[in-house]
Amino acid sequence: MSADIKSSLPKPPSDPRPEAVRTTLPIWIIVLTLMLLFLGGLYFDNHSGWFQTQVYGPYASVDQLELYQPKSGAAAELARGKVVYEQVCGLCHGADGLGKPGQAPPLAGSEWVMAKGYNRLAHIPLAGLSGNISVAGKDWNMGMAAMGAALPDADLAAVLTYIRTSWGNGASPVPMEDVTKVRAGLGARPQPMSHDMLMTMPE
Amino acid sequence: MTANETIHPTAPAPEIDASCRLPLLALLVGASVWLVVGTVLALIASIKFHAPEFLAACPLLTYGRVVAAANDALVYGFCLPASLAVIIWVFARLSQTVYTLPLVPVVAAHIWHLGVFIGLLSILLGHSTGFTWLEFPRGGSILLFVAFVLIAIPTAASFGFRLEKDLYPSHWFLLAALLWFPWSYASANIFLVAMPVRGVAQGVVNLWFANNLLYVWFSLVGLGIGFYFLPKLTGRPLQTYYYALYVFWTLALFGTWCGLPQGSPFPAWITTLSSVAAVLLIVPLIGVTVVFGRSLGGPGSDGPMGGPLSFVKFGLVSFLLSTLMYIALACPQISRLLEFTWFGVAQSQLQILGFLAMVLFGAIYYILPRALGFDFIAPQFIRAHCFLAGLGVVFWVAPLALAGYAQGANAYSLDASLNWLRISTLGLGFILLGNLLFALNILAMFLTWKLNLVKTLFAAITAPLKVSEVKS
Amino acid sequence: MAASIQLGSVTQTTVLNSSDVYPPQRTGDATLGLQVYRANGCAACHTEQVRQEGVTCAVVLTGAGKNPQAVTNLLATLTLTGLTKEAADAVADQITAAGGKVEIHIVPVGTDIDHGWGVRRSVAEDYLHDYPVQLGSLRAGPDLANIGVRAPDANWQLLHLYAPQSVTGTSRMPSFKYLFTVQKVGATPSPDALNLPAAFAAPAGFEVVPKPEARQLAAYLLSLRANVPVYDAPFTPPAQP
Repeated sequence: MSADIKSSLPKPPSDPRPEAVRTTLPIWIIVLTLMLLFLGGLYFDNHSGWFQTQVYGPYASVDQLELYQPKSGAAAELARGKVVYEQVCGLCHGADGLGKPGQAPPLAGSEWVMAKGYNRLAHIPLAGLSGNISVAGKDWNMGMAAMGAALPDADLAAVLTYIRTSWGNGASPVPMEDVTKVRAGLGARPQPMSHDMLMTMPE
Repeated sequence: MTANETIHPTAPAPEIDASCRLPLLALLVGASVWLVVGTVLALIASIKFHAPEFLAACPLLTYGRVVAAANDALVYGFCLPASLAVIIWVFARLSQTVYTLPLVPVVAAHIWHLGVFIGLLSILLGHSTGFTWLEFPRGGSILLFVAFVLIAIPTAASFGFRLEKDLYPSHWFLLAALLWFPWSYASANIFLVAMPVRGVAQGVVNLWFANNLLYVWFSLVGLGIGFYFLPKLTGRPLQTYYYALYVFWTLALFGTWCGLPQGSPFPAWITTLSSVAAVLLIVPLIGVTVVFGRSLGGPGSDGPMGGPLSFVKFGLVSFLLSTLMYIALACPQISRLLEFTWFGVAQSQLQILGFLAMVLFGAIYYILPRALGFDFIAPQFIRAHCFLAGLGVVFWVAPLALAGYAQGANAYSLDASLNWLRISTLGLGFILLGNLLFALNILAMFLTWKLNLVKTLFAAITAPLKVSEVKS
Repeated sequence: MAASIQLGSVTQTTVLNSSDVYPPQRTGDATLGLQVYRANGCAACHTEQVRQEGVTCAVVLTGAGKNPQAVTNLLATLTLTGLTKEAADAVADQITAAGGKVEIHIVPVGTDIDHGWGVRRSVAEDYLHDYPVQLGSLRAGPDLANIGVRAPDANWQLLHLYAPQSVTGTSRMPSFKYLFTVQKVGATPSPDALNLPAAFAAPAGFEVVPKPEARQLAAYLLSLRANVPVYDAPFTPPAQP
């Protein structure tokens, strides 16, 4: 060491390479590590949702998350029906449900919409409609494509409920299960409905 | 096994020290300037909380920019280059070889400081990347990466060419640190800036890097240097080699997963894994406590109060506390109260200014006189610095932690924590004074060295002139 | 890194019980506003993440049925809020048996939610269009995840940026005056000039006009509206009128 390093520096006994005592590691620290790892594993098992991207705290699994999905109440159902109606149906039938001359018959006040049952009504968007049909005292003769065939059952049920309960139509709501049944009964590629076919079905 | 006992022909200590002189000066002079710049910026930021209108009209000095610049100046301006300087010397000494290629780190040090300058200026001008601890835009971050690699390669090479084959615990810590930073810095910059990942994954990468820099890298360097100087300064052996190694492996294994807080908008598995890993940090924490406690006991000389050993001891105690705070923040019950408060700031500031900076100060005060061959111009400043820094860290960090508690308990209301923040500003003032003394000593030493160099040169040029030129 | 690959594949989702897509694209101004937010380091003091500590169920009566008195008497004996899903189902069964009609509402709980900083926790979808994502880590100021819902008025946002204390008296937020120009009132006053309270107003004959940056930042803040239910963070939204 050079001599001009002054005494202000704390002088170690000499300036050698530091030494380290080489006694073996005690077993307790390894046991402790393993115990902590085990407890950590248990905690991870209970809280992690096992690498599912959609599981965030406070949920711990997809099942739990599924349990807490809100069931849509009647109001939410109607709101959803309105959105679907305005996107899919409103263009021809009008946002007010009054229909458009030369394009589509009215839904407001229509006997088909407000029928006691909704079996016939549910067939129309799922299969389409062609030929002569009388709506609210007027004859209409035009075609409608199967506009509802591509909609999920829940959306179709919501939109049917919406048209049956809006604009002064005071009919009952349509549950999703019944839409599923009608769709299953129609098969893969149904023929468009006609007035006569509809009349053969239960209401 | 000590140097005297080894059978290999090794270089004598003064020769090794002299071979590190140029890299040490190139890194440390800039670092000490950035240290003062960073502390001044931090003080400006801290004052803004008491007087929001203070310098508000100047966009360069708005709080969000100043605080980012202050943190980056302290971490990238001071902590990293100073760490590299100390690592260069420790490696050369441990390997008992003269440092090969000393000019490469000199060039790299200038690139590094240029990168920091560009980065800080960009932040103040509003060109930060917006990612915490990675604010330097491309212009700065690429320079930093290149400079780090340029320093890491010859330093690691000096490990490869070591004459003393026996490994010491610090080898593990410091060699890992040399690899860890380029890897994590490059990955983070690639995934955030070069080819940014989408959406909230940016947050994951950002927090992963912040943890790997501030917790893992800082701990590796601080402990590596601390475990070297602790036995050296006390004259007692490190207790024990395998405890230190166990600390290294558990730290590297568990540390890298931490730092993604409970409440963050990440899927549950990420935050759960992170808090499990953080609690497992108890193992290296116990390991360091044992090493620290056992190495201090027994016969030997601790030197005067306020010397390098005091800095190192303060740093290691800060590490224990900051790790405890880190673990606490990861526990769901506690993080509910303290997350997003000043408590987290207190933890990172303790890690930066209380732990690594203090260990580095101690190491630099020990190394620099040996490397240059003459003592500090004002050795009495060392003790004053130690006193100011210790007091400053206590008064800077403890009020911040208490402010965090006040904030968490009072619905994040800043008013509840304002008085604590006032005290912390005072603490930062002490730290600034201490850092000024440090920088003065380093700069004075650098100037003396330059002056001596010029004198020698001048003497070499003028001496023969008188004899030969006059007669002809 | 696995996390970034997994989260990198997060895409737009649909709002629960609706066909709306979430999150909607930001407007151009709001996208630029995020850059103003980044440049000025707003994330140093503000987080954009809401935590949620738990989830509860509330049983809500939607129709009293044919025997309202019995239902009312029954309700008085039951706890209707803060229930687990199982307990809520049991309560709902009891009321239905008495003839009432009920809905079960999902109610997230947590300190952040109590502060009114959100209706549910933040999830990956909330940040889908952001670069850089500004989660923040310190709440020196309030959380901003749904500031667009809490303060939906662009003028309020501009006033708050220019002189925070003019709208929230005790705020410690610095003024961002440099995002505004103070100019002489011309022949006709600028339609964009801020309507400041007297204590903060510009001197007579001058007006304060936001620069484009201020307007972009305000547009960005208004676009922060994490308030719809999604699959990862379900809740029952309040009934729309």
